[in-house]
Amino acid sequence: MSTTGLKDAMSTTTTGLEDAMSTTTTGLGARNVTVSYGGDPIVRDVSLDIPQGELTMIIGPNGCGKSTLVKTLARIMKPDHGQVLLHGRDIWSYRGRQAARHVALLPQNPVAPDGITVRGLVRRGRYPHHTLLRQWSPDDDAAIGFALERTGLDDLAEAQAGELSGGQRQRAWIAMVLAQQTDLLLLDEPTTFLDIAHQYDLLELCRELHREGKTIVAVLHDLNQAARFASHLIVMKGGKVVTQGPPSRVLTPELVAEVFGLACDVVPDPRTATPMVIPHASLTDGAA
Amino acid sequence: MSRPKGFVVLGRAVAVPVSRVSVVAGLVLTVLLLAACVATLSLGRLGIPLTDLLGALTGGARGKAAFVLERLRGPRLVVGLGTGAALGLSGALFQTVTRNPLGSPDVIGLASGAGAGAAAVALLLPGVVPVPIGALAGAVLAVVVVYVSTGTGFRNPGRLIVAGIGVSAISVAFIQYVVYAVERDKATVLTAYVNGSLSARSWEHAVTIGIVLLVVAPLAAAISGRLALSEMGDETAGMLGAEPGGTRTAAVALSVVLSAGAVAVAGPITFISLTAPQIARRLTGGTGPHLMLSSLTGALLLVLADLAAQQLPLPGGVPVGVYTLALGGLYLGYLLIREWKKGTL
Repeated sequence: MSTTGLKDAMSTTTTGLEDAMSTTTTGLGARNVTVSYGGDPIVRDVSLDIPQGELTMIIGPNGCGKSTLVKTLARIMKPDHGQVLLHGRDIWSYRGRQAARHVALLPQNPVAPDGITVRGLVRRGRYPHHTLLRQWSPDDDAAIGFALERTGLDDLAEAQAGELSGGQRQRAWIAMVLAQQTDLLLLDEPTTFLDIAHQYDLLELCRELHREGKTIVAVLHDLNQAARFASHLIVMKGGKVVTQGPPSRVLTPELVAEVFGLACDVVPDPRTATPMVIPHASLTDGAA
Repeated sequence: MSRPKGFVVLGRAVAVPVSRVSVVAGLVLTVLLLAACVATLSLGRLGIPLTDLLGALTGGARGKAAFVLERLRGPRLVVGLGTGAALGLSGALFQTVTRNPLGSPDVIGLASGAGAGAAAVALLLPGVVPVPIGALAGAVLAVVVVYVSTGTGFRNPGRLIVAGIGVSAISVAFIQYVVYAVERDKATVLTAYVNGSLSARSWEHAVTIGIVLLVVAPLAAAISGRLALSEMGDETAGMLGAEPGGTRTAAVALSVVLSAGAVAVAGPITFISLTAPQIARRLTGGTGPHLMLSSLTGALLLVLADLAAQQLPLPGGVPVGVYTLALGGLYLGYLLIREWKKGTL
């Protein structure tokens, strides 16, 4: 079965929700969302919509709430106040599997169970499409095959996930969320444990998937990588969204100074002409 | 529609994954279990000879054979099977929740808590509260105390084990106090409540553990898929829609009921729920909670241990719990050393 066939199959499950979808947003958004881990709020009164068809990257200093925000958008954390809306309805009014057919999140530290193969891992991404007694769907093989092929893991499908290199393992996890066949893919710091070559490898993969029509949101630490690969930036500080827009408009020396406390020049990247940050010195305490 | 490979399919509504290695392991365990059952019924001075066994089982038992089958070894064997299966299943559920082999009901004080509850109602308030209810209350109390005293829930194996050992020690001390306060002279009563025993079981016990299994096993099977996903961490399970919080609560509750049921009929038999899921896991090398295979392995281990308890020429009728304690103690030591070397304790 081709991927277009899969998309047809998926759209039948979303009929009725189509009306609520506008052309510019994915149907996923936050409305005055405040989130905490029991103490002080990490995300404070955030409202935003995830733009359709963009490769959005969320940047901000440590502890600014970017990971917490994507977890809240993916129905992993429940907001204290406000709502996450999925096609106009509170995401917590959906059943878990129902929401998981629309939004996928690759968390920071997923655990590969002992003894699982790459194919077995990718198959787990199909869980939202199954029921208690029908733990298989006709689309499974096509979706798993597509995910393995797209992440270049065809030849490693029967390998043990525990024996993969760091870069391959991260690709296997990406394959799992691809097999989930959601409208939207959220990635929480997908490059954190990778060396620099594999970081670019993974970001290229994101860009290719984006060009093929996938809407992706990634939390990223590296400003220059975000500026180079993102089509849309969301900048957070202190649990709030400071600004958002295309990198060329958003990423300015003033913004980097204000949000990260770093004096810098922003010059055009000699290869891609996207904004590139050249730091001077830290403006925060302790800097010379 | 393509036919899925590696699935058992019934019509359009049912497709359940079954791996060949699990089926083979299940068959092997079943054969071994049957052999252990036959040995239990036929070995020793009172055993029913193999040639008479089939006739006796199909209703032709008379005289001594009838007494052995209906009163002596029959109920004892069935209670052993049910208790072993319940312990194996209970261990598989709890170990999957804690993602650690040491996060097992017998290690973290659930079994001894249930024993204390059973001892309290059986000896302090005889006839007022049924023993299974007392065992359940004790097990719940033990789990709550462990949960609260770790401060981090069931996620941190080091704290879980320390808290569990504390709760176990307190529970055993309480059992000893109760037994000595009420039944000064009866050391056998004490061993039954501290170590567990299968001697002198009746069909009533068999029915009790049978009902527990009939109620709990289907529920456990229903959450098996979600449990398998929770192995990938709460966030991954959550984003796939497997509701890890609710699944964990359900698995702990089912595990507590199973352990309480096992304790109510046989006393706190230790280490079956620790070892059975580990053996089942190694038999297949696959992922998931291995609920079915853990139950079979648990039943096999307990029937074998009880066979040893009945047939080994040790004086004084050593209760089965002492055998599982000896066997499992070695395994626990091995696990502790391994986890300590890995730095996960």
